[in-house]
Amino acid sequence: MSGNLKTIIKRLVRILLTPWRKRYRRRNGTVSNQPRHELPNDVWLGEVSQMLREGKPYAIYVKGYSMRPFIEHTRDRVFLEKRDSYNVGDAVLAQIAPGHYVLHRIIKKQGDNLTLQGDGNIRGVEHCLEQNVSGVVTQYIRPNRIIPADDPKLMCRIRLWRKLRPIRRYLLFIYKAIV
Amino acid sequence: MKIKKGFELREVCGENIIVAYGKENIDFNKVISLNESASFLWRAISEKDFTAETLTSLLCEEYEVDLETAKKDAQSLLDEWKKVGLVEE
Repeated sequence: MSGNLKTIIKRLVRILLTPWRKRYRRRNGTVSNQPRHELPNDVWLGEVSQMLREGKPYAIYVKGYSMRPFIEHTRDRVFLEKRDSYNVGDAVLAQIAPGHYVLHRIIKKQGDNLTLQGDGNIRGVEHCLEQNVSGVVTQYIRPNRIIPADDPKLMCRIRLWRKLRPIRRYLLFIYKAIV
Repeated sequence: MKIKKGFELREVCGENIIVAYGKENIDFNKVISLNESASFLWRAISEKDFTAETLTSLLCEEYEVDLETAKKDAQSLLDEWKKVGLVEE
């Protein structure tokens, strides 16, 4: 698709969805303007992983767009806990390479081998062993509410989102226009 | 008073930071950085009951500081910890 056509479609979508966009934004909590102190990902997530392995569940802010639409960049936090084993559908904090951590969802499990993918990613996947996972998301912390990961409605939406993977690109396009 | 359950001092990237873990602290979204003397005090009173006087004595024992200054600084630090929600009675 050419760049101009893409821009025109984006603008049209914004115009058409503006009433819903405004409503969506009013429902959202305001973003805090307190200064954040950011540590390098590998260092901070390494420390968080260590805490989880020590049996200390912890909540982190999420940076990045790879878990859209369920977890939004810097708006949402997630509460992570260690488990003895992890399953398909779990959003987990895993080390996929030395010093490289991701918070992505398990889409496939074969023995100890896990395949991960961000909800907001279209093609890219990661592979790791179950022992490289430090914890699973048990609570999604939004500005105005906390949603448990085993909430039936949320689990249903996550399953549906996975089934709609063939058209994920277009759904994310619409989601970005709204948000 | 004492430090609330789930609050821990950890060294990350050369900085001493306080993190709050556990379900009971799920709403605590700050990460507090302590300087060297505050870290010393935190470690000394960790898992113990303490008062402002405890902190004052520790400062006087460890650092070359007069009693009045130590008292003022200890109270100021304690007020800050209370304000942020790190300690409980």
